[in-house]
Amino acid sequence: MDKPRTDEDQQLVARTQSGDAGAFDQLVVKYTPRLYGLVYNMTSNHEDTNDLLQDVFSKAYKAIRGFRGKSSFYTWIHSIAVNMTLNFLKKRGRRFQLSLDDVDASIQNDKEFLELTATSSPVREADLSELQRRLNEAMMKLSDEHRAVVTMFHIQGMPHAEISKILRVSEGTVRSRLFYANRQLQNYLDEFRKNPVA
Amino acid sequence: MNEFDDNEIATLLRLKRHEQPPPGYFENFLHEFHRRQRDELLRQPLWRICLERTHNFLFQLNVSSLTSYPAAVAAVLVCAAIISLKIYQGPEAATVAVQSRSVLSATANGEGQWTLSSPVATRVFSTQPLRKSSESAHTHSRGSGTPPRYVLDSVPVSYEATFKF
Repeated sequence: MDKPRTDEDQQLVARTQSGDAGAFDQLVVKYTPRLYGLVYNMTSNHEDTNDLLQDVFSKAYKAIRGFRGKSSFYTWIHSIAVNMTLNFLKKRGRRFQLSLDDVDASIQNDKEFLELTATSSPVREADLSELQRRLNEAMMKLSDEHRAVVTMFHIQGMPHAEISKILRVSEGTVRSRLFYANRQLQNYLDEFRKNPVA
Repeated sequence: MNEFDDNEIATLLRLKRHEQPPPGYFENFLHEFHRRQRDELLRQPLWRICLERTHNFLFQLNVSSLTSYPAAVAAVLVCAAIISLKIYQGPEAATVAVQSRSVLSATANGEGQWTLSSPVATRVFSTQPLRKSSESAHTHSRGSGTPPRYVLDSVPVSYEATFKF
Protein backbone atom coordinates (compact mmCIF):
# COMPACT_ATOMS: atom_id res chain seq x y z
CA MET A 1 0.00 0.00 0.00
CA ASP A 2 2.79 2.35 0.94
CA LYS A 3 5.23 1.26 -1.79
CA PRO A 4 3.20 2.27 -4.89
CA ARG A 5 2.43 5.62 -3.29
CA THR A 6 6.14 6.23 -2.74
CA ASP A 7 7.10 5.07 -6.24
CA GLU A 8 4.50 7.27 -7.86
CA ASP A 9 5.61 10.23 -5.77
CA GLN A 10 9.25 9.61 -6.65
CA GLN A 11 8.44 9.69 -10.34
CA LEU A 12 6.47 12.90 -9.97
CA VAL A 13 9.26 14.47 -7.92
CA ALA A 14 11.86 13.46 -10.54
CA ARG A 15 9.75 14.94 -13.31
CA THR A 16 9.29 18.17 -11.34
CA GLN A 17 13.03 18.38 -10.75
CA SER A 18 13.62 18.07 -14.47
CA GLY A 19 11.34 21.04 -15.11
CA ASP A 20 7.90 19.49 -15.57
CA ALA A 21 5.62 21.84 -13.64
CA GLY A 22 2.61 19.67 -14.48
CA ALA A 23 4.06 16.87 -12.36
CA PHE A 24 4.13 19.17 -9.36
CA ASP A 25 0.50 20.08 -10.05
CA GLN A 26 -0.34 16.40 -9.70
CA LEU A 27 1.41 16.34 -6.32
CA VAL A 28 -0.54 19.43 -5.25
CA VAL A 29 -3.86 17.87 -6.25
CA LYS A 30 -2.94 14.63 -4.53
CA TYR A 31 -1.83 16.08 -1.21
CA THR A 32 -4.11 19.11 -0.81
CA PRO A 33 -7.03 17.34 0.93
CA ARG A 34 -4.78 15.52 3.35
CA LEU A 35 -2.65 18.54 4.20
CA TYR A 36 -5.75 20.67 4.47
CA GLY A 37 -7.04 18.38 7.23
CA LEU A 38 -3.70 18.54 9.02
CA VAL A 39 -3.35 22.33 8.95
CA TYR A 40 -7.05 23.01 9.52
CA ASN A 41 -7.20 20.88 12.65
CA MET A 42 -4.11 22.62 14.01
CA THR A 43 -5.38 26.16 13.33
CA SER A 44 -9.19 25.75 13.56
CA ASN A 45 -9.50 28.51 11.00
CA HIS A 46 -10.35 28.01 7.34
CA GLU A 47 -8.80 31.25 6.00
CA ASP A 48 -5.53 30.72 7.85
CA THR A 49 -5.45 27.15 6.59
CA ASN A 50 -5.91 28.26 3.00
CA ASP A 51 -3.09 30.82 3.20
CA LEU A 52 -0.77 28.43 4.98
CA LEU A 53 -1.43 25.65 2.51
CA GLN A 54 -0.62 27.92 -0.43
CA ASP A 55 2.62 28.91 1.27
CA VAL A 56 3.46 25.28 2.01
CA PHE A 57 3.20 24.26 -1.65
CA SER A 58 5.00 27.37 -2.79
CA LYS A 59 7.88 26.64 -0.44
CA ALA A 60 7.91 22.99 -1.46
CA TYR A 61 8.07 23.93 -5.15
CA LYS A 62 11.05 26.22 -4.55
CA ALA A 63 12.84 23.63 -2.43
CA ILE A 64 12.08 20.53 -4.45
CA ARG A 65 15.33 20.72 -6.43
CA GLY A 66 17.14 20.16 -3.16
CA PHE A 67 14.97 17.16 -2.25
CA ARG A 68 17.25 14.14 -2.44
CA GLY A 69 14.74 11.49 -1.41
CA LYS A 70 16.29 10.61 1.94
CA SER A 71 12.72 10.50 3.24
CA SER A 72 9.53 9.96 1.25
CA PHE A 73 7.86 12.96 -0.37
CA TYR A 74 4.91 12.26 1.93
CA THR A 75 7.06 12.74 5.05
CA TRP A 76 8.88 15.71 3.54
CA ILE A 77 5.77 17.69 2.58
CA HIS A 78 4.12 16.90 5.91
CA SER A 79 7.23 18.14 7.74
CA ILE A 80 7.08 21.42 5.84
CA ALA A 81 3.37 21.79 6.60
CA VAL A 82 3.72 21.02 10.32
CA ASN A 83 6.74 23.28 10.82
CA MET A 84 5.20 26.19 8.95
CA THR A 85 1.95 25.79 10.88
CA LEU A 86 3.74 25.65 14.23
CA ASN A 87 5.69 28.80 13.34
CA PHE A 88 2.48 30.50 12.28
CA LEU A 89 0.72 29.53 15.52
CA LYS A 90 3.57 30.94 17.59
CA LYS A 91 3.24 34.27 15.79
CA ARG A 92 -0.55 34.26 15.96
CA GLY A 93 -0.61 33.61 19.70
CA ARG A 94 -4.00 33.53 21.36
CA ARG A 95 -5.54 36.27 19.23
CA PHE A 96 -7.70 34.39 16.76
CA GLN A 97 -11.25 33.40 16.03
CA LEU A 98 -12.53 29.95 15.27
CA SER A 99 -13.58 29.68 11.63
CA LEU A 100 -14.80 26.14 11.39
CA ASP A 101 -15.82 24.22 8.34
CA ASP A 102 -19.23 22.62 8.19
CA VAL A 103 -19.61 18.96 9.01
CA ASP A 104 -20.12 17.07 5.81
CA ALA A 105 -23.45 15.30 5.39
CA SER A 106 -21.62 12.03 4.90
CA ILE A 107 -21.16 11.85 8.67
CA GLN A 108 -24.71 10.50 8.92
CA ASN A 109 -23.51 7.35 7.15
CA ASP A 110 -20.31 7.01 9.16
CA LYS A 111 -20.30 3.69 11.00
CA GLU A 112 -18.47 5.11 14.01
CA PHE A 113 -20.87 8.02 14.25
CA LEU A 114 -23.85 5.70 14.18
CA GLU A 115 -22.35 3.48 16.85
CA LEU A 116 -21.47 6.42 19.01
CA THR A 117 -24.92 7.95 18.88
CA ALA A 118 -26.69 4.60 19.28
CA THR A 119 -25.03 3.65 22.56
CA SER A 120 -25.69 5.20 25.93
CA SER A 121 -22.95 7.78 26.03
CA PRO A 122 -22.53 11.48 26.76
CA VAL A 123 -22.29 12.05 23.01
CA ARG A 124 -25.85 10.94 22.58
CA GLU A 125 -27.04 13.40 25.18
CA ALA A 126 -25.30 16.34 23.67
CA ASP A 127 -26.14 18.18 20.55
CA LEU A 128 -23.62 17.15 17.94
CA SER A 129 -22.83 20.62 16.67
CA GLU A 130 -22.34 21.86 20.22
CA LEU A 131 -20.11 18.90 20.93
CA GLN A 132 -18.06 19.67 17.84
CA ARG A 133 -17.63 23.25 18.99
CA ARG A 134 -16.57 22.09 22.45
CA LEU A 135 -14.16 19.58 21.01
CA ASN A 136 -12.54 22.26 18.87
CA GLU A 137 -12.27 24.59 21.84
CA ALA A 138 -10.71 21.79 23.85
CA MET A 139 -8.26 21.14 21.02
CA MET A 140 -7.27 24.80 20.97
CA LYS A 141 -6.51 24.67 24.69
CA LEU A 142 -3.80 22.10 24.02
CA SER A 143 -0.30 23.33 23.29
CA ASP A 144 0.58 23.56 19.59
CA GLU A 145 2.88 20.55 19.76
CA HIS A 146 0.29 18.38 21.53
CA ARG A 147 -2.40 19.42 19.05
CA ALA A 148 -0.13 18.48 16.18
CA VAL A 149 0.33 14.98 17.58
CA VAL A 150 -3.39 14.53 18.28
CA THR A 151 -4.26 15.71 14.79
CA MET A 152 -1.82 13.39 13.07
CA PHE A 153 -2.62 10.34 15.17
CA HIS A 154 -6.36 10.54 15.85
CA ILE A 155 -7.67 12.56 12.92
CA GLN A 156 -5.20 11.71 10.16
CA GLY A 157 -4.62 8.15 11.36
CA MET A 158 -0.84 8.23 11.06
CA PRO A 159 1.25 5.64 12.91
CA HIS A 160 3.58 6.72 15.71
CA ALA A 161 6.68 6.03 13.61
CA GLU A 162 5.54 8.35 10.82
CA ILE A 163 4.70 11.12 13.29
CA SER A 164 8.11 10.80 14.92
CA LYS A 165 9.80 11.18 11.50
CA ILE A 166 7.74 14.24 10.63
CA LEU A 167 8.31 15.95 13.97
CA ARG A 168 11.88 14.62 14.32
CA VAL A 169 11.26 13.41 17.85
CA SER A 170 11.39 9.89 19.29
CA GLU A 171 8.39 7.57 19.23
CA GLY A 172 8.41 7.70 23.03
CA THR A 173 7.93 11.45 22.90
CA VAL A 174 5.04 11.01 20.49
CA ARG A 175 3.37 8.48 22.80
CA SER A 176 3.83 10.61 25.91
CA ARG A 177 2.45 13.69 24.13
CA LEU A 178 -0.56 11.68 23.04
CA PHE A 179 -1.18 10.37 26.53
CA TYR A 180 -1.00 13.85 28.05
CA ALA A 181 -3.21 15.36 25.33
CA ASN A 182 -5.86 12.65 25.79
CA ARG A 183 -6.01 13.38 29.52
CA GLN A 184 -6.39 17.08 28.83
CA LEU A 185 -9.16 16.55 26.30
CA GLN A 186 -10.93 14.18 28.65
CA ASN A 187 -10.90 16.79 31.42
CA TYR A 188 -12.25 19.54 29.17
CA LEU A 189 -15.05 17.39 27.77
CA ASP A 190 -16.02 16.05 31.21
CA GLU A 191 -16.43 19.63 32.37
CA PHE A 192 -18.78 20.13 29.44
CA ARG A 193 -20.77 17.01 30.39
CA LYS A 194 -21.11 18.14 34.00
CA ASN A 195 -21.90 21.72 33.10
CA PRO A 196 -23.25 21.80 29.52
CA VAL A 197 -24.44 25.43 29.65
CA ALA A 198 -21.06 26.92 30.52
CA MET B 1 -19.88 5.34 32.95
CA ASN B 2 -20.89 8.79 31.81
CA GLU B 3 -17.34 10.03 31.44
CA PHE B 4 -15.62 10.19 28.10
CA ASP B 5 -13.15 7.36 27.82
CA ASP B 6 -10.14 7.24 25.51
CA ASN B 7 -12.02 5.35 22.80
CA GLU B 8 -14.87 7.82 22.71
CA ILE B 9 -12.49 10.74 22.51
CA ALA B 10 -10.60 9.00 19.74
CA THR B 11 -13.88 8.37 17.87
CA LEU B 12 -15.00 11.97 18.31
CA LEU B 13 -11.69 13.20 16.97
CA ARG B 14 -11.92 10.86 13.97
CA LEU B 15 -15.31 12.34 13.20
CA LYS B 16 -13.60 15.68 12.71
CA ARG B 17 -12.54 14.30 9.31
CA HIS B 18 -16.06 15.16 8.20
CA GLU B 19 -15.39 18.86 8.71
CA GLN B 20 -14.82 19.87 5.10
CA PRO B 21 -14.15 23.18 3.35
CA PRO B 22 -16.85 24.71 1.09
CA PRO B 23 -17.71 22.75 -2.06
CA GLY B 24 -15.35 23.38 -4.94
CA TYR B 25 -12.52 24.47 -2.67
CA PHE B 26 -10.14 21.69 -3.65
CA GLU B 27 -10.98 22.11 -7.35
CA ASN B 28 -10.07 25.81 -7.20
CA PHE B 29 -7.04 25.36 -5.02
CA LEU B 30 -4.68 24.61 -7.92
CA HIS B 31 -5.87 27.67 -9.89
CA GLU B 32 -5.32 29.82 -6.84
CA PHE B 33 -1.85 28.32 -6.44
CA HIS B 34 -0.94 29.21 -10.03
CA ARG B 35 -2.32 32.72 -9.62
CA ARG B 36 -0.25 33.32 -6.49
CA GLN B 37 2.86 31.97 -8.21
CA ARG B 38 2.39 34.43 -11.08
CA ASP B 39 1.84 37.32 -8.64
CA GLU B 40 4.96 36.38 -6.74
CA LEU B 41 6.96 36.22 -9.95
CA LEU B 42 5.83 39.71 -10.94
CA ARG B 43 6.82 41.11 -7.57
CA GLN B 44 10.35 39.70 -7.78
CA PRO B 45 13.20 42.02 -8.83
CA LEU B 46 14.74 41.37 -12.24
CA TRP B 47 18.12 40.28 -10.87
CA ARG B 48 16.47 37.59 -8.81
CA ILE B 49 14.56 36.21 -11.77
CA CYS B 50 17.79 36.16 -13.81
CA LEU B 51 19.61 34.42 -10.96
CA GLU B 52 16.92 31.76 -10.65
CA ARG B 53 16.84 31.16 -14.41
CA THR B 54 20.61 30.85 -14.52
CA HIS B 55 20.48 28.42 -11.65
CA ASN B 56 17.80 26.40 -13.40
CA PHE B 57 19.81 26.40 -16.61
CA LEU B 58 22.92 25.16 -14.82
CA PHE B 59 20.87 22.53 -13.03
CA GLN B 60 19.50 21.26 -16.33
CA LEU B 61 23.03 21.02 -17.68
CA ASN B 62 23.87 18.90 -14.66
CA VAL B 63 26.73 21.12 -13.63
CA SER B 64 25.39 21.74 -10.19
CA SER B 65 28.64 20.48 -8.70
CA LEU B 66 30.48 23.34 -10.34
CA THR B 67 28.12 25.89 -8.89
CA SER B 68 28.57 24.66 -5.37
CA TYR B 69 29.87 27.14 -2.84
CA PRO B 70 33.25 25.46 -2.18
CA ALA B 71 33.97 25.36 -5.91
CA ALA B 72 32.93 28.98 -6.32
CA VAL B 73 35.13 30.09 -3.40
CA ALA B 74 38.07 28.11 -4.80
CA ALA B 75 37.60 29.69 -8.23
CA VAL B 76 37.53 33.19 -6.73
CA LEU B 77 40.70 32.50 -4.74
CA VAL B 78 42.54 31.19 -7.81
CA CYS B 79 41.50 34.25 -9.83
CA ALA B 80 42.61 36.57 -7.03
CA ALA B 81 45.98 34.81 -6.82
CA ILE B 82 46.56 35.10 -10.59
CA ILE B 83 45.62 38.79 -10.64
CA SER B 84 47.88 39.58 -7.67
CA LEU B 85 50.80 37.75 -9.34
CA LYS B 86 50.32 39.79 -12.52
CA ILE B 87 50.30 43.02 -10.54
CA TYR B 88 53.45 42.32 -8.54
CA GLN B 89 55.43 40.97 -11.44
CA GLY B 90 56.10 44.47 -12.90
CA PRO B 91 56.69 46.95 -10.04
CA GLU B 92 59.61 48.79 -11.81
CA ALA B 93 57.53 50.03 -14.70
CA ALA B 94 54.83 51.22 -12.35
CA THR B 95 57.34 53.23 -10.29
CA VAL B 96 58.76 55.00 -13.34
CA ALA B 97 55.32 55.93 -14.47
CA VAL B 98 54.46 57.45 -11.12
CA GLN B 99 57.70 59.43 -10.93
CA SER B 100 57.30 60.96 -14.38
CA ARG B 101 53.74 61.95 -13.52
CA SER B 102 54.91 63.79 -10.40
CA VAL B 103 57.48 65.76 -12.38
CA LEU B 104 54.82 66.87 -14.80
CA SER B 105 52.47 67.97 -12.07
CA ALA B 106 55.24 69.89 -10.31
CA THR B 107 55.90 71.98 -13.38
CA ALA B 108 52.23 72.50 -14.03
CA ASN B 109 51.62 73.93 -10.59
CA GLY B 110 53.92 76.89 -11.19
CA GLU B 111 52.62 80.45 -11.65
CA GLY B 112 51.62 81.35 -15.19
CA GLN B 113 51.90 77.84 -16.45
CA TRP B 114 48.27 77.75 -17.58
CA THR B 115 46.42 80.16 -19.83
CA LEU B 116 42.72 80.80 -20.26
CA SER B 117 43.13 82.61 -23.58
CA SER B 118 41.71 79.72 -25.49
CA PRO B 119 38.33 78.11 -24.77
CA VAL B 120 40.25 74.87 -24.48
CA ALA B 121 42.77 75.14 -21.67
CA THR B 122 46.14 74.59 -23.22
CA ARG B 123 49.25 74.01 -21.28
CA VAL B 124 52.25 76.27 -21.91
CA PHE B 125 55.38 74.35 -21.21
CA SER B 126 58.14 76.21 -19.47
CA THR B 127 61.15 76.97 -21.57
CA GLN B 128 63.43 76.45 -18.62
CA PRO B 129 65.29 73.20 -18.71
CA LEU B 130 64.26 70.70 -16.16
CA ARG B 131 67.79 70.35 -14.94
CA LYS B 132 70.83 72.56 -15.05
CA SER B 133 73.62 71.94 -17.51
CA SER B 134 75.95 71.08 -14.68
CA GLU B 135 73.69 68.22 -13.77
CA SER B 136 74.41 66.71 -17.15
CA ALA B 137 77.62 65.50 -15.62
CA HIS B 138 75.57 62.68 -14.20
CA THR B 139 75.79 61.04 -17.58
CA HIS B 140 79.33 60.09 -16.85
CA SER B 141 81.68 60.11 -13.92
CA ARG B 142 84.77 62.21 -13.96
CA GLY B 143 88.07 60.73 -13.02
CA SER B 144 86.75 57.56 -11.52
CA GLY B 145 87.40 54.19 -12.98
CA THR B 146 83.80 53.21 -13.08
CA PRO B 147 82.19 52.86 -16.48
CA PRO B 148 79.94 55.72 -17.69
CA ARG B 149 76.35 55.61 -16.46
CA TYR B 150 73.55 57.06 -18.52
CA VAL B 151 70.35 58.34 -16.94
CA LEU B 152 67.33 59.12 -19.07
CA ASP B 153 65.41 62.30 -18.46
CA SER B 154 61.92 61.84 -17.11
CA VAL B 155 60.59 64.23 -19.79
CA PRO B 156 61.99 63.52 -23.24
CA VAL B 157 63.57 66.49 -24.93
CA SER B 158 62.57 67.01 -28.50
CA TYR B 159 63.49 69.75 -30.93
CA GLU B 160 60.68 69.01 -33.23
CA ALA B 161 57.51 71.05 -33.23
CA THR B 162 54.96 69.73 -30.76
CA PHE B 163 52.04 69.92 -33.12
CA LYS B 164 52.03 69.22 -36.79
CA PHE B 165 49.04 70.07 -38.94
